Amino acid sequence: MSKFKKGGKRGIPAVNTSALPDIIFMLLFFFMVATTMKEVEMKVEIEKPIANQATPIEDKDNVDFIYIGYPIDAAEGTEPRIQLDDRLAPDVTSVGDWKKSKVRAGKRVLDIVTSLKVDKSVGMRIVSDVKEELRDVDALKINYSADISK
Amino acid sequence: MARRDVGEINAGSMADIAFLLLIFFLVTTTMEVDAGIGRQLPVKLDINLPPPPPVNERNVLKILANKNDQLLVEESFVRMEDLYDIVMKFYTVNKGGERDINMPLYEPITKEKCRAEITKLQADLVKSPDNTSLPGEIAKWEEKSALIDVVGVYSEIHKSAVIQLKNQAGTSYGLYMEVQNILKQVVNELRVIECEKHDFPDYYTLREDRPEDMVYINMLRILVPERILESKIEN
Repeated sequence: MSKFKKGGKRGIPAVNTSALPDIIFMLLFFFMVATTMKEVEMKVEIEKPIANQATPIEDKDNVDFIYIGYPIDAAEGTEPRIQLDDRLAPDVTSVGDWKKSKVRAGKRVLDIVTSLKVDKSVGMRIVSDVKEELRDVDALKINYSADISK
Repeated sequence: MARRDVGEINAGSMADIAFLLLIFFLVTTTMEVDAGIGRQLPVKLDINLPPPPPVNERNVLKILANKNDQLLVEESFVRMEDLYDIVMKFYTVNKGGERDINMPLYEPITKEKCRAEITKLQADLVKSPDNTSLPGEIAKWEEKSALIDVVGVYSEIHKSAVIQLKNQAGTSYGLYMEVQNILKQVVNELRVIECEKHDFPDYYTLREDRPEDMVYINMLRILVPERILESKIEN
């Protein structure tokens, strides 16, 4: 008889899980720091162009986004459309008023950058029209959104 | 008096709470960074202004992205791969002296020239105090004069040297951005060279929202100007 053999049930001891919350917290903090909230619900589909000279937008609070792409909802047609905040604009002329309505307290329209997020297969006509509208309301700082690499 | 033992708080559900938060952030977030190429649109001009004086052909680099997504420079077809060299040549070929008469010339800027220009402009301002563009012109020459104090006498590309970028209604935005990207790349690379030459901080670390960086950015804008003229879209 082996002296090590003991009577009774022999179970595998439970894994110590007391460090689990710490690990999860670490993950949590990583995601909290590394991520940004989705700005809006997308109503248009956008495949951004690639531009290796693009630089990250630093001051995200002072940026307005204009989305131009093909509508996801088939009922809206197949022509490229402009999305302002979370709805589709009826036509390009509403861009100016929308931009003016977005001015922050203590800032001029000129101070707020307008980021154009445009699908790469959209024709330049609509982009050019939007730029003209922005010029009309003195929103001269624009940013052509692009992915830095694939 | 007997010490009452405070029982340990059960932290077993802590992980669950943290998990819940973690999943919330996982779902509501997007990892993409917003990046892009910044540009400034030209100010809306008064229709009644007199037309600008004609510009010498050699000072304009005409780039056209047509509706079939083809690229034309000075009215002849070019490949996208060649555009970089063309734009680079436009900027640099005459920098060290006159080499190509069909490209914009460079002109040395000296203290004397700045002084002469400022005196002349101030005299003009006295004659026509209503002219709104003169004070800006004077400020520009004063900036150039200040730049000489930092980098010494430098040569500057012709003041009307400009890249004209034309599109047609059917041009795809992707092609337009490829062109914009190359224009940006050339200017960035030239500015990096200037930064190294004059012991400025690293170009890519300069930020427009820091006043101490703006000093360098303004100097680089004079040394390597980025003048893009976007003509009205054609059908």
